Amino acid sequence: MSDYYVGILILVCINLLSVLGLSLMTGFTGLFNFGQAGFMAVGAYTATILTTRYSVPFAPALVAGMITSLLTSFVIGYPTLRLKGDYFAIATLGFAEAVRLLVENLEKITGGSRGIPRIPTHTNLPVSLAAAVIALLLVANYVRSRHGRNCVAIREDELAAESIGVNSFRYKQISFAINAALAGLSGGLLAHYIGFIQPSMFGMIKSTELIVMVIFGGMHSITGAVFAALVLTSLPELLRAAQAWRLVAYGAVVVLIMVARPEGLMGSWELTPANVRALFTRSRAVESG
Amino acid sequence: MPLLEIQHLIKNFGGVRAVDCFSHQLEQGGLYAIIGPNGAGKTTIFNLITGIYEPTEGQIFFNGGEITGMITHEIAGKGIARTFQNIRLFSDFSVLDNVRTACHHYASYSVWEGLFPTPRRRREEKALTDRAYRLLELVNLADRAHEMSKNLPYGHQRRLEIARALAQEPRLLLLDEPAAGMNPDETVQLMDFIEQIHETFDLTILLIEHHMEVVMGLADDIVVIDFGRVIARGTPEEVQSKPVVIKAYLGTEEE
Amino acid sequence: MSTVLQQVINGISIGSVYALIAVGYSLVYSILKFSNFAHGGVLMLGSYFGFFALTLLGVPFWVALPLAMVGAGLLAIINERLAYRPIRLRNAPLLYLMISSLGASIFLENFTIVTIGPTFRTYPDVFPIAPFILGNLSVGRLDVIIFVIAAISVALLTWIIYGTQMGNAIRATSYNMRVASLMGINPDVVVAFVFFLAGASAGLGGVLFGIKYTVWPQMGILTLKAFIAAVVGGLGSLPGAVLGALILGVTETFAAAFVSSAFRDLFSYALMIIIILVRPAGLLGTLAEEKA
Repeated sequence: MSDYYVGILILVCINLLSVLGLSLMTGFTGLFNFGQAGFMAVGAYTATILTTRYSVPFAPALVAGMITSLLTSFVIGYPTLRLKGDYFAIATLGFAEAVRLLVENLEKITGGSRGIPRIPTHTNLPVSLAAAVIALLLVANYVRSRHGRNCVAIREDELAAESIGVNSFRYKQISFAINAALAGLSGGLLAHYIGFIQPSMFGMIKSTELIVMVIFGGMHSITGAVFAALVLTSLPELLRAAQAWRLVAYGAVVVLIMVARPEGLMGSWELTPANVRALFTRSRAVESG
Repeated sequence: MPLLEIQHLIKNFGGVRAVDCFSHQLEQGGLYAIIGPNGAGKTTIFNLITGIYEPTEGQIFFNGGEITGMITHEIAGKGIARTFQNIRLFSDFSVLDNVRTACHHYASYSVWEGLFPTPRRRREEKALTDRAYRLLELVNLADRAHEMSKNLPYGHQRRLEIARALAQEPRLLLLDEPAAGMNPDETVQLMDFIEQIHETFDLTILLIEHHMEVVMGLADDIVVIDFGRVIARGTPEEVQSKPVVIKAYLGTEEE
Repeated sequence: MSTVLQQVINGISIGSVYALIAVGYSLVYSILKFSNFAHGGVLMLGSYFGFFALTLLGVPFWVALPLAMVGAGLLAIINERLAYRPIRLRNAPLLYLMISSLGASIFLENFTIVTIGPTFRTYPDVFPIAPFILGNLSVGRLDVIIFVIAAISVALLTWIIYGTQMGNAIRATSYNMRVASLMGINPDVVVAFVFFLAGASAGLGGVLFGIKYTVWPQMGILTLKAFIAAVVGGLGSLPGAVLGALILGVTETFAAAFVSSAFRDLFSYALMIIIILVRPAGLLGTLAEEKA
């Protein structure tokens, strides 16, 4: 496979990590996160500062980035998770903006708006693929567990969920934390793929792209998240010419999806053996007339 | 010792007193009812018991311990389950998953085991699923286990909601107008069903109803409330002939 | 001393612009119960309308301003018709409205970037820049003018909402849309009117902000400040939104003047977090308990 396609695949895997986190937090738990890029930035800068300035090896640096991002989600979550849905969303927006501002202004640590150059490019295809696959398995497992069901219950009807004994605050914290860890990992891998980081890479555009992927693929489906990450990462790369209109199209598509098919592409459908079999048995029944 | 004891409960919403000095005691194993015209404050009382609202004044004791001011999920954990007047199922879940979710306390595997499946998780999930199926069989919904709960007819949804409440293995079951929206036949069936589960499980049941006739043959003890305060107490026979009760129900129709 | 006074005036001035934006945002929230993210997009385009009215059409300010406001108001109505009304009519969850508004906001912002261009624009000098001199204090003329215009507009909005027939209809609809329609109020008319008001006030806010600072496609982010103002003052309270906006304006101006200008925004976010922690209902608001 040529370098070009390898690069796209690496980017797909990196985005997928963030999108999986968002799928769990926003799709399955119903917490709208418009500031995912902020968590990616936390992970990216933590990992980068450790590898470039303190010669920490790659893996521990990535883990440190994940942990920092996770702890940040606890700090931010404590006051904001009590807010109602759309207020929480706006708070996450504020958070991402605040992170960007902090990064731009703590020049001695983060290099300011010029960023940090000459990052060792440790991220390659095996690493990112492994990370993406492992994350996919973990998130899929979680969603199918009793904890995952509790998250969906919170999303569907928080009051009823509480009434059956689900501690909604704690579960929201957990979803937020898992998301933050995945986003932090995504950011760390991104930094060590591109070879430099700047705050502009983690702005509203990035957060927007990620949340659009979740909406597009279907908020209640991990399969949809994977599909959307694949399509919406590779397509713009392959269609470089129309780059400028990409976000315009995203905005229009989101409105269209909400108006016409809010469940997104996959709805709640998952790529499980049972579901795939069901597809075929139905068509066979039709054929036999 | 009474299972549930409510003392001088008062709830104000701004300038409106929705519940006014409400006191009540439920003994273990009884089947109780709160009835009253619309807007009397019945659901508010349920919301106060289950921690959705915080009382302005008053105390609530369950099983000897005070639960006033506790959070809803804590109270649920203590053994109080409820259904809602406007059925609140998890619509994106199947019939089975609605009940399975409520069985979550039946397993104890951690969040980590949620991410990395272990044999213990597999075992506990299987036990949990079996239990959910048994509950569905009890309410005659086992054959529809994999249908989407939002596609069930109304009467079945109500039964599912009750099954979900039973999944918590509660000691006290609160039913908020369970017969709402049902025709007379369905209502009779439902009431028979409630009587059946009351006898089968060692349950104490408190039900809210709008129509007195519905709870006539069912409840041991009825409290009638209007404008948030108790206007009568007693057995169904005692209560239904009291003038103040008749006035509360008929008075509004005369106007 | 005069620096402090100048900063206070500065703060009240920007606070009044925030108040204008916050009131429009709260109006839509009270009627349709969702956060309209596209409010920022309307604000931004209103600012551009004013800019182009002045520079391309060459009309005087007192013509450009109403043009911008009407343009923004109409844009808000179109936005509602296309992106919200179909969802509203289906009785879909409020969440869908919010997501759709996000899409609309992304669309508006990036459409502007691609068509008009990402460069920052500066309004021509609409007012003489000489400061007002009171005794030996010098006060920014622009700040005062902005404050006066914004204050009058907020007062006008308040009068419309509390003192007119249409205002009654709006408030009735905000309590219960179905009941209001049963009483003869046409919810579509009310919704259109509310969006026009919200859009027009957002457009006005955009023009005022553009006059003092600059116009750029991402300026919709200002609505985030309006939201913080609403949180500080009390969500769901119109006077709270105004109070919160003024407090926010003054305090963040002081933070910018005496710490650093980058600190301004950080301070606003910190203020929001503190209020949520210490007094979640906001200064004037009351926490509504969810009904079961």
